[in-house]
Amino acid sequence: MVGELVELLQLPFIQRMFIAGFLASISCGIIGSYVVVKRIVFVSGGIAHATFGGIGFAYYLQFMLGWMWFDPLVGALIFALIAAIILGSPLMRNRIREDSTIGVLWVVGMALGILFIHAVDRSKILVQDPVSILFGNILLIKLQDLYLMVGLVIAIIFITILLYKDLQILTFDEEFARIAGVNVNAMNILLLVLVAFTTVVLIKVVGVVLVIAMLTIPAAISGLFTHNLKMMMILAVFVGVITTFGGSLLSLNYDFPPGATIVILMGCVFVVSLLGKSINQRICLVKTE
Amino acid sequence: MGTKSAIEITGLTAGYGKELVIQDVNLCVEDGDFFGIIGPNGGGKTTLLKVMLGLLKPMKGDIRIYGESPETGRRYIGYVPQYAEYDKVYPISVRDVVLMGRRSVRGPSPWYSNEDKKAAMNALETVKMKDFKDRHISMLSGGQRQRVFVARALVSQPRILLLDEPTASVDQTMQENLYKFFKELNKEITIILVTHDIGVISSYVTRVACLNRYMFTHDEKLITKEMLEASYHCPVDIIAHGVPHRVLGEHQKKKKS
Repeated sequence: MVGELVELLQLPFIQRMFIAGFLASISCGIIGSYVVVKRIVFVSGGIAHATFGGIGFAYYLQFMLGWMWFDPLVGALIFALIAAIILGSPLMRNRIREDSTIGVLWVVGMALGILFIHAVDRSKILVQDPVSILFGNILLIKLQDLYLMVGLVIAIIFITILLYKDLQILTFDEEFARIAGVNVNAMNILLLVLVAFTTVVLIKVVGVVLVIAMLTIPAAISGLFTHNLKMMMILAVFVGVITTFGGSLLSLNYDFPPGATIVILMGCVFVVSLLGKSINQRICLVKTE
Repeated sequence: MGTKSAIEITGLTAGYGKELVIQDVNLCVEDGDFFGIIGPNGGGKTTLLKVMLGLLKPMKGDIRIYGESPETGRRYIGYVPQYAEYDKVYPISVRDVVLMGRRSVRGPSPWYSNEDKKAAMNALETVKMKDFKDRHISMLSGGQRQRVFVARALVSQPRILLLDEPTASVDQTMQENLYKFFKELNKEITIILVTHDIGVISSYVTRVACLNRYMFTHDEKLITKEMLEASYHCPVDIIAHGVPHRVLGEHQKKKKS
């Protein structure tokens, strides 16, 4: 078993799988914690699904203009950023109900993706199977993808460290943040831009549809066990690493779809943690009585 | 001009869109006052607070905080929001909540300095919550939590403490303790207390005003029947009829003697 694993680790695509899983866990641990405590899971869902349009758009440009350098992940990043700015902008937030904006971005993004991909002649351009775009395939990661992912993760870590204090105030108490001199409008957009970065990092690992799972579940699990935002982030990264690696290895071993396997594993860990925590609380209650 | 008033409001009209919530409000809070603003729910108390904090632009009139506009003058104000408005499951300790109050002093630095941490501990000492510094905010009683948020306001060393319904969802004994504590704080700091609770306010404040769209003031802390009638319209009978009204008046005389 160990010998097999060592042998596997020699394979470049397996190495890339582990690196990508690690990068995804870092970004979803940090930004997922903000998403969970600020309760913007569905805002993030809107951003995540809008990226599908960007991926289709990139393939379309490759096909129509021959821009082969225009990678699908770059298209995803551009669409995610546009969605983040639209959702974060106070002009939109004051005029339109936030969940309506989310709904529009969510479905229009998906529909655009399908239309663009449909318009591409697949005998000329190599298009990734839409199912694997939506549900991810951590085994299909290119070296070029890793470069972009590393860049985004570095940006996420750097910005979070630099603005940790203000992001904490913003996510805890927006009105107080405003009084304390935090530029709330800019920070709200910035937080969604960080979510957009994270989404792009996660797409390759779990796919467009399952991004929400990675943004939410590890942070939700770690939130059960700590009352400190920094600890919550660190623990969430740890949970992310264990579940992505575990899920990837399971999917390799049994030939399951990797994205879905990772997410199911996360879901199981969440349920077990929840049960474990409530049983533990019961025991404590009985003891104190 | 001598010393400036803590807060001076002249002819203030404010609201949202076309809807006017407060109209032609005049108010002068002097340095050292314990000023009570009372009024029914929906009477414009929150709107007035928002204008004072520079969160809402007035439509008409002027507001000065120690002679400055709300945008710059709000650094003199320590604001304690209503009990119900924050997220109780947010992963944060008592000390970290108090530290947030240093943001307005420190500016956008990546982390808090030792000086900030010392100030936070001092503020917790003042509100007698030092022993709870590592507690999660969900594991506090209503009164304790209120003290923590007072500490967050005090940590920026404000000259005015602005309290919005500080005793909502706090039990009766704790309410009295809190008011005594505010009275104690008032020795060093101007306090503005906004509430709909007339009963408690009268025995602690030095001056009072009633707000219900218009502001009704009185030079002394006495709440007159006319003020109440004007601000509450008909419900005065229920709120201030008979005993409570007389108690307010007598109390005032006792203090003077």
